[in-house]
Amino acid sequence: MTRDRHDEARELIALGEGLADAKQAWLRAHLDECEACRNYAEAADGVVRALRSLPLAADSRLVRATQMRVRFHAGRLRESRERLWLVGMACLGVGLSATLTVPLLWRLFAWMGAWAGVSSWVWQAGFAFFWIAPTLVVSAVLLARGTHLSNSHLGGNGEKQWR
Amino acid sequence: MNAVAYCFMNAMESEASAIARGLRRRDPDLLDRLIEQYQHRLLRYLVYLSGDRELAEDLFQETWIRVLERGHQYDPKYEFSTWLYAVARNLTIDYLRKKRPVSLEGLMEDEEHAPRPSQLEPADTRPMAWEVVQQHEQAERISAALIGIPVEYRETVVLRFQEGLALEEIATVTGAKLGTVKSRLYRGLNLLMSRLKGAQA
Repeated sequence: MTRDRHDEARELIALGEGLADAKQAWLRAHLDECEACRNYAEAADGVVRALRSLPLAADSRLVRATQMRVRFHAGRLRESRERLWLVGMACLGVGLSATLTVPLLWRLFAWMGAWAGVSSWVWQAGFAFFWIAPTLVVSAVLLARGTHLSNSHLGGNGEKQWR
Repeated sequence: MNAVAYCFMNAMESEASAIARGLRRRDPDLLDRLIEQYQHRLLRYLVYLSGDRELAEDLFQETWIRVLERGHQYDPKYEFSTWLYAVARNLTIDYLRKKRPVSLEGLMEDEEHAPRPSQLEPADTRPMAWEVVQQHEQAERISAALIGIPVEYRETVVLRFQEGLALEEIATVTGAKLGTVKSRLYRGLNLLMSRLKGAQA
């Protein structure tokens, strides 16, 4: 019997259950004839049983606190997703309406420019301002009151933070 | 026998698929059920991985928050518990790296962070009786031996013998090769046995 066979047997013992049939048979045969490995197997079995009997449990307060925190966070994620969906839909609506109305507005500004007798760069500048003004106003309002990103779940909402 | 095994596998697959669907929907009732179902197993794993009950409880909560946020990444071809342990493990490593810039392996020599066995006591306290005291002492002895072994061996031993994961599942959770898992298990068990023998002597 070489040292390698003992090592192999002990490695198989350490792997626990679920060995292939052939390996299990080889191990049984080896244990029948080797007292040292049999003792090792018994000691390993004792340690594994002791490990499995370790009484470590989560207490119910931790479970309840976790469930509440997860529900709260799920609500925030849902809100944030709904907001994102609304913003997406609004962008889509604006994009579509812009595509449809730009040619008409351009003609309207050209007609108004001709009617007022101003040069073309004046009515074109008016058109550009008219086009940009709503974006500027909305940006200013959002900056003033804060966007949804500033009060997201990333911090400062009373949730438990890392120590 | 094969038919029984087939039915069992099918049931497991359909349960994993149901969990995956629920996680994609961020179904709070499903999460409540999963938290209850895995409470003891997950906490035990985190306690032995981090070596600190208080930290493990924080990581327990963070793990479920991450499960909620990244539930869509769960692949139902794996057991849910395997994915859950992997999430918990990554969080623990991230936390420990942030707290002090060492690798998981670096904890091996870090005696300062070896927890006292009393930190691993069960939360549940029962009326004192001789048998309970004896069991308690034995549990402390085993806990002390377990937390005394290097973290990668400890993790493998806990996943295998306490949580009952298959070797392939441990490899998935830890991202290690199957051969590495086997050798960690062998060395971990040997270290644990020698520490217990030392404690008895």
